[in-house]
Amino acid sequence: MTMIAPDPVAGDPKVDRALTRRRWLGRLRGGPTSRPVWRQPIAAAALTILGGWLLVALFAPLIAPYDPLAQSADGYASPSAAHWFGTDSLGRDILSRVIYGARLSIPLALAIVSLALLIGGLLGLVAGYVGRFADEALMRLTDLVFAFPQIILAMAVTAAFGPNTRNAVLALVIVSWPVYARVIRSAVLSMRGDDYLSAARLLGVGPVRALRRDVLPNSIGPAIVLATLELGNAVLLLAALSFLGLGPRPPAAEWGSMVALGSQDLSMWWVSVFPGLAILTVVMAFNVLGDALRDRLDPRYAKGR
Amino acid sequence: MSVSPRRLRAGALALATLAIISTTACTAGGGGGNANGGAATTLTVNTSFVLKTLDPGRVYEATGLTAVHALYDTLVTFEGSDVGTPVPALAESYEASADATTFTFKLRSGVTFSDGSPLTADDVVFSLNRLKNIKGSPAVTVSELSVSKTDDSTVVVTSATPNPNVPVVLAMPSTGVINAKVAQENGAKDGEDAAQGDTAQQYLDTNSIGSGPYVLKSYDPSAQVVLEANPNYWGDKPQFDRVVLRNMDVQTQKLTMQRAEAAEISLDISGKLLDGLPESLQTSGVQDTVYFLFLNADPAVSAVTSNAKFNQALRAAIDYQGIAALYGEGAAPGAGLVAPAFPGTLPEGEASTRDVAKAKALLAEAGLDNPTVTFNYPAITYKGVDLGTVATKVQGDAAEAGITLELNPQPLTTFLDEMRGGKSPLGFTPQSLNYPVADSLINNMAPGQATALRSGWTVQRADPAVVAAGEQVTETLDLAARATAMQEWQRLMNQSSPYIVLASNSSTVVATADLTGADYSAAGWQVDVAAVGRR
Repeated sequence: MTMIAPDPVAGDPKVDRALTRRRWLGRLRGGPTSRPVWRQPIAAAALTILGGWLLVALFAPLIAPYDPLAQSADGYASPSAAHWFGTDSLGRDILSRVIYGARLSIPLALAIVSLALLIGGLLGLVAGYVGRFADEALMRLTDLVFAFPQIILAMAVTAAFGPNTRNAVLALVIVSWPVYARVIRSAVLSMRGDDYLSAARLLGVGPVRALRRDVLPNSIGPAIVLATLELGNAVLLLAALSFLGLGPRPPAAEWGSMVALGSQDLSMWWVSVFPGLAILTVVMAFNVLGDALRDRLDPRYAKGR
Repeated sequence: MSVSPRRLRAGALALATLAIISTTACTAGGGGGNANGGAATTLTVNTSFVLKTLDPGRVYEATGLTAVHALYDTLVTFEGSDVGTPVPALAESYEASADATTFTFKLRSGVTFSDGSPLTADDVVFSLNRLKNIKGSPAVTVSELSVSKTDDSTVVVTSATPNPNVPVVLAMPSTGVINAKVAQENGAKDGEDAAQGDTAQQYLDTNSIGSGPYVLKSYDPSAQVVLEANPNYWGDKPQFDRVVLRNMDVQTQKLTMQRAEAAEISLDISGKLLDGLPESLQTSGVQDTVYFLFLNADPAVSAVTSNAKFNQALRAAIDYQGIAALYGEGAAPGAGLVAPAFPGTLPEGEASTRDVAKAKALLAEAGLDNPTVTFNYPAITYKGVDLGTVATKVQGDAAEAGITLELNPQPLTTFLDEMRGGKSPLGFTPQSLNYPVADSLINNMAPGQATALRSGWTVQRADPAVVAAGEQVTETLDLAARATAMQEWQRLMNQSSPYIVLASNSSTVVATADLTGADYSAAGWQVDVAAVGRR
């Protein structure tokens, strides 16, 4: 009987929300047996790196020594006191361009992942909860997207719509939402027959409220982990599109296009190495953080501690 | 799909470190390895193959032209880097009529094909008629010509319109003379219906039937073409018994040349790629390519670019010296549309110059406040130069004068489609001539002509003086006077045409120190391999 007993204050929306949040956010702080994510040295390092990049992106105009678009006659200058990372063929300061590049890559990656999570999450919830025809149709749609290699499909989409920032983001959302749909759907499926859902239904809770109050909080965990991992992937895919000339239009300072510019003449190593390092650090940090989060939230992956 | 974070991470790391690793990998990578030392009489020519056929009647691509020039003789030819004065080859002399329509060629006696049979006027007539009638890509150069023989050693070429440059056309590799009898046995036709009937290409791709200094030994269009000295050659025997044209991308060519010791040539290392080559290598280049902007003169396409004051303001805003520096060694700031390699180019000292104050004043006169224009360009690297880098430089220069250019890199086909459709408000393109006669520029780029119309430049929108200057060039039959008229035309074009010439740039032959005669030629064949010798 206790199982179907409603929350003591059920019905008060504020309390409802607070409880919901605690149910899955609480896990981030860890149970009594393990340390929180930010106490693990590698994850802490990743967090520090990401925090650093966020600060760089936020305060780029204050940090950057030069205008990232300003050209000078001093082309292909190797790293020096005046230009720590050297200059490119047009005499633009690479340090400033790397710094400004963070303003593109990081927010765009966040936008891509949020949009994909939103779209994929919604569709996954619907597919899993409604089942039957909706499930079949949506899952075949995800199969269709999965059938293409991610980067090729993204290239096709950008090439079709025309290369610019908006279309690159759009293309990457189109290729990345199905992962979230799948993950959320499977989480929903695994709890579909659970007693507390049945109980909620018996109490007259409608499908929308059930999804929001019971299903979403219990299935969002894996999707959050995935999103963190995918942030790195999004940075990388965006850089790849940009490398191929399908990202933000020049002369924007974008890491991928900077690597591409440098790859024309590798004897000027600094032109591509520094933006390459920027990509490397951000992507690694997101991946490490995602791994740590997964260890935290998914007991199946938890290492023995 | 199961999302394995481990795999994701591995992929992410691999891709992100690519930029770093490739730097070291590339310098550590091995070169092609040259067969020098023992095989001292082999000349190796490294080039990134652009090769579809070795049939003289159809050859149009750079690598094919290099080979065909060594396999087949033409009536006249050019020596070294000169493309102004045709010199005798199969013809020991020629005469032009005063009206520049009839050209009489006296054939050299004692010339034989590589199989030993004699070369006669019939072979010349057959070859030129075939070139014209199979209507392949190079046929356009001879479409106005007709050919006949008056006796076994005299050939008369007539042009439908006066054209003092007929001998230049007859130096092009596509006019190479083939053995008519053998060709016909293998499906060659020269009649009016040859476009359908001629089936000789396959045979001519793998066999040479010319009288040139070399014969074809093997043909693999994806890997290499091997030429061997023609034992029956009528002229001085070439110094190398064998020439191997090797297909090689440009970065590998650079590595190969850095290690090459002897008897090796590369054709594609140019511009900035020349930096870092050993001092011992020799280079030869002629500026034969111009790079220009085109503004649309049609107000319906762009009210900004069709404004004459804006046109002049943009001209004044560009840093021509700075752009030439981007191209690296062998480039020059833009002057006229005729590249320095060709007769009629503007003399040194007439290069365009920058004047930002003037640009701003012109913009103010035009009543344009912060004009914004979409700037299309093909996202390609041409002759070692990334066009995007140049476009970005132009954009930066224009910004200093208060002009906003929105860069719009396009795939080459999209760019060409938009350009041909006349939709580009502002574009950027390189231009090389198919054969070393600049007159074709007038036929294409003068007001109302095909290329000009793509920029909306009709006769009505043009300055009548430009139209008259163009007509003056085509009406002048004396070559020296024609070159002078061409210069005058370009000066007027620089005042009001939709074209802004940014820079001219050179292709470069890079050769090992032991070679002589490895001169770049703008005549199409890049280098005359038969003229290459050893010190």
